[in-house]
Amino acid sequence: MSDRSVDTALVRWLEEYAEQGVFTTDDRLTITAWNRWLERHSGRSAAQMVGRPLLDAYPDLGDRRLDEHYREALEGHASLISHLLHGHLLPMQTRVGEHVFATMPQRARIAPLTAGDQVIGTVTVIDDVSERVASEYELRKQIEAQEMARAAAEKALRIKDEFLATLSHEIRTPLNAVLGWARILTERELEPELLSRALNSIFRNATVQARMIDDLLDTARIMAGKLRLQMQPVDLLSVTIAAMDVLAPVIEAKRIELRKSLDPKVQRVLGDPDRLQQIIWNLLSNAAKFTESGGAIDLRLEQRQGVARITVTDSGKGITPEFLPYIFERFRQGDASSSRREGGLGLGLALVRELVELHGGVVRADSEGPGKGSTFTIEFPTVISPEPRHNHVSRDRLNADSVPSLDGVRVLVVEDEEDARELLSTILSDSGAHVTSLGSCAEAMEYMKAAAAEQRPKVIVSDIGMAREDGYHLIQQLRQLPPERGGALPAIAVTGYAAPEDRTRALSAGYQRHVSKPVDPVALVKAISEAIRRAGV
Amino acid sequence: MILTAEQKDALTELINIGFGRAAASLSRLTGHRVQLEVPQVMMCPVGELSEALRPYICGEIASVHQVFTGPVGGDALLVLDQRSAGILKELLTNEPALPLSIDASAREVIAEVGNILLNACLGMFGNLLKVQVSFAVPHVTLEGLEAVVESVIVEREELRYALVVHAGFRMKSSSVTGYLVIVLSVASVDRLIRAVDTWEAGR
Repeated sequence: MSDRSVDTALVRWLEEYAEQGVFTTDDRLTITAWNRWLERHSGRSAAQMVGRPLLDAYPDLGDRRLDEHYREALEGHASLISHLLHGHLLPMQTRVGEHVFATMPQRARIAPLTAGDQVIGTVTVIDDVSERVASEYELRKQIEAQEMARAAAEKALRIKDEFLATLSHEIRTPLNAVLGWARILTERELEPELLSRALNSIFRNATVQARMIDDLLDTARIMAGKLRLQMQPVDLLSVTIAAMDVLAPVIEAKRIELRKSLDPKVQRVLGDPDRLQQIIWNLLSNAAKFTESGGAIDLRLEQRQGVARITVTDSGKGITPEFLPYIFERFRQGDASSSRREGGLGLGLALVRELVELHGGVVRADSEGPGKGSTFTIEFPTVISPEPRHNHVSRDRLNADSVPSLDGVRVLVVEDEEDARELLSTILSDSGAHVTSLGSCAEAMEYMKAAAAEQRPKVIVSDIGMAREDGYHLIQQLRQLPPERGGALPAIAVTGYAAPEDRTRALSAGYQRHVSKPVDPVALVKAISEAIRRAGV
Repeated sequence: MILTAEQKDALTELINIGFGRAAASLSRLTGHRVQLEVPQVMMCPVGELSEALRPYICGEIASVHQVFTGPVGGDALLVLDQRSAGILKELLTNEPALPLSIDASAREVIAEVGNILLNACLGMFGNLLKVQVSFAVPHVTLEGLEAVVESVIVEREELRYALVVHAGFRMKSSSVTGYLVIVLSVASVDRLIRAVDTWEAGR
């Protein structure tokens, strides 16, 4: 086959089958060839195009100064037209999957056609790069999504790191006060006034720490999806008053005025009374924390259409608009410096939102900005129901000053930890009880079996988590005794396990009441008195 | 072969005229003012090319490769490190660059920039020598510096000298540095230098 016939065959192939647009011009830029691909994509046939000056057929090339590339080609220079800088050479339409390109993205190469040293025309090869553009677009989207996910993960990690730093600081702070005063107390005798200050400080700081640990445990339970609510119809008024009572010393100490507007006709809501109290307590505590001494907090409880609404408004430092959307996020605090000043773990409000949502309620924060105070509003759907199944303990707390007396009541305390045992003995002795305290389950059973009828206790108060045999073991053995030997004695479980499921376990094991540590003396004495009353002993 | 100070100045001036044209084309294309710093020029034997460039360019590089033929022939390259190539693409297109190995569009933009720059410089030489220089379509490779230099040496044995031109792009208060490398045969270098001398004398 001669060279010429190879050339002809090649030209025919380019014209008929090439997967690219190919056209040629002579040295005056008159089109001399226009292949099938171009016919198909440009909608212009070779018959229309061949013989036409290129710049007449596409005047746009001149407007976009692409004609310079053709002039350069006539001087022997090849050039490349990239789609990112030019979009396209010739206007054509295309579509790739869901991407519709009004103008096909193209890469074009413009080169001289030479015969010997002579340039006799130009050749242009156009590639459709729409598929590539579409896949690069998808790739870019995927990379962006991955980067966003990574940034979010890094941020979460950073927030947790900051939280751990805060945690170690915050947990240590009250401990310093407790340890400091405890050391002074063991080293020397204090005058009564200083002694009372020391004890108050220890009490206050230990309470703060106990609260923090509760918040932490609750957060961990919520994160693990293990928080169980003991749902029952609850009177929000008594819950609100109880929360107020708990916080009263803090609010008084800061000389903050607490203005109340509590509607007694608010209908009951379905909820866990302890958790509802925790919600209100947290909101009030938050308000007290960020309100300067001499400021005011407004607490409002009202019935709205189908919902009970609680509003806590403070005259405190307010919330910046930037922080407002994140106020209920875990581990977030307005700013690190103020959190150092105000203390806290940044968990309280996150817990509030989670608990409110678990109750089917909503919570909202509003603030007009820094220095302008904040308002927190929570709403719970109300239910119309008969009397609650049992009155919640916080009803009792309403009458905190009427602590029942345990005068002459014989109480057996079982607790393996010496300090805790002494504490329980002291609380109960102060209430007039005759206390026998023992350090193990075995000792307790021995005592029960040996004791004469008149020496036998009327009630047992036992720790659950003891080293050898625990409180569940004790109650199991006790309940095996015949009633006349003490098998039916009322028993109170005192434990550091404060979760609702721990309470359920203690009650189903045979205890009548469950009191969590740190022990509130009033609650303990009331629990004992209530258990004795119910047992009719 | 060492350039005299006068030859260096004359070459710098000639290439600077080419750079001016290239910068104008790039500015027009991108709608932003693109400047090319006054080039620095040096000549070295091809065998020492890697060593000469190594202090300035490290890691993986992107090179735009364009063969030119005619009375003066050789290879012309624009060499950038891949990071700079990515930045250049971002500056020119306002679109973030992906790693060049998976971003064909970015490679294409770099090829066009190389094309504009190399055409402007080689065009200047053509005018100076009053000969027509033809260039092939440029293509981009992503390889180490040694591999790029090696391929130039192996492909065209007669190419002995490299004219290295430092090219600094400035736009939108950023700058990116690349190198133009024009590899020539002994005969072509002779011819070019004689033409430069004549041009210099004629001023």
